[in-house]
Amino acid sequence: MSCLISLSQSPYGSRSAKESLDITLVLAAFEQNPGLLFIDDGVLQLLPKSQQPSPHKHIGKIISALEMYDIDELWVETESLQELGLQLEQLSQPVKLIGRQQLSELWSKYDQHLVF
Amino acid sequence: MAGFLYMPNTTHPNDVTSLSYCIVVRCGPNQQSQSLSALQFTQELLAQGHRVIRVFFYQQAVLIASNFTVMPQDEANLSLQWQALAQEHQLELGVCIAGALQNGIVNPQECERYQLSAANLAQGFQLVGLGQLAAASADCDRLISFGA
Repeated sequence: MSCLISLSQSPYGSRSAKESLDITLVLAAFEQNPGLLFIDDGVLQLLPKSQQPSPHKHIGKIISALEMYDIDELWVETESLQELGLQLEQLSQPVKLIGRQQLSELWSKYDQHLVF
Repeated sequence: MAGFLYMPNTTHPNDVTSLSYCIVVRCGPNQQSQSLSALQFTQELLAQGHRVIRVFFYQQAVLIASNFTVMPQDEANLSLQWQALAQEHQLELGVCIAGALQNGIVNPQECERYQLSAANLAQGFQLVGLGQLAAASADCDRLISFGA
C-alpha cells in the first residue's frame, strides 16, 4: 500500500503542516512508502530556517528527518514554486519538480492520497 | 446521500461486492456540513452492507469526541450521533491522542496522568496513536478523508 500526501498549507498558518508530516512519518514507520507533494503554500515548508515563529516545533526539523525515515519521494509542483518566486536551490531538501499537467500521473502511481 | 455515490446494490455484509473502509474525519464539529457528510457517509456505508474498519478523528475533528459540548435544543449533537452509530454497528471510533490532549480532550487515565480537573472523552470514543490510522489504511479497500 502506498500513500501520497499533498501538503498545501503554509508551515505556521495552522497546525496542519505539522499534523500532515506526523502522518507521513507514521506511515513510513509502518512501511507504507509515503510520497510527499508540496503544492501551493506547502512549498514554504521546504524553506530552511525560514522563520522562527510560534512556540511550536520548527517544521524544518521534521522535514530534515524525512531522510532518516527513508522518505525520498519528494515532489514540488513547478507552478507553485514559480508563483512564490522561489528557486529549486533555495529548498532545504533535494526534490523532484512536476508540472501541473503531470499531477494526475503522479496521483495514479499511488494507492491512496491524503490532501492537507 | 442517494445518488451521491456509486455503490454496489447489496445489503449483505459477506457479499463479495462489499468493501472495507477506513474513514478519516479531520473537520471539526463547527465545520457543519463537512462533518455531517462524514457521519452520513459512514451511516450509508453501513446501511449498504460495507465494513468500516475504523473511524479515525484527527485535527479539528478530535473536538467531536468531547462530551462537554452542549448544543442548542433544536440542533443535533454530532458526538451523540457518532456514539449511536458506533453502538449499533460495533464501530471503532479512534481519536488521535496527541491531537486530543492539545485540544483538551482527555480520558480518565490522561486526566489522572496530567492532573487535570475532569475527563471529557465521550463514551464510545478511544484515544489511540496515529499508528492506528496507518494500520487501518493498510488493511482497508478504501481510505476516505473528510475535510480539514
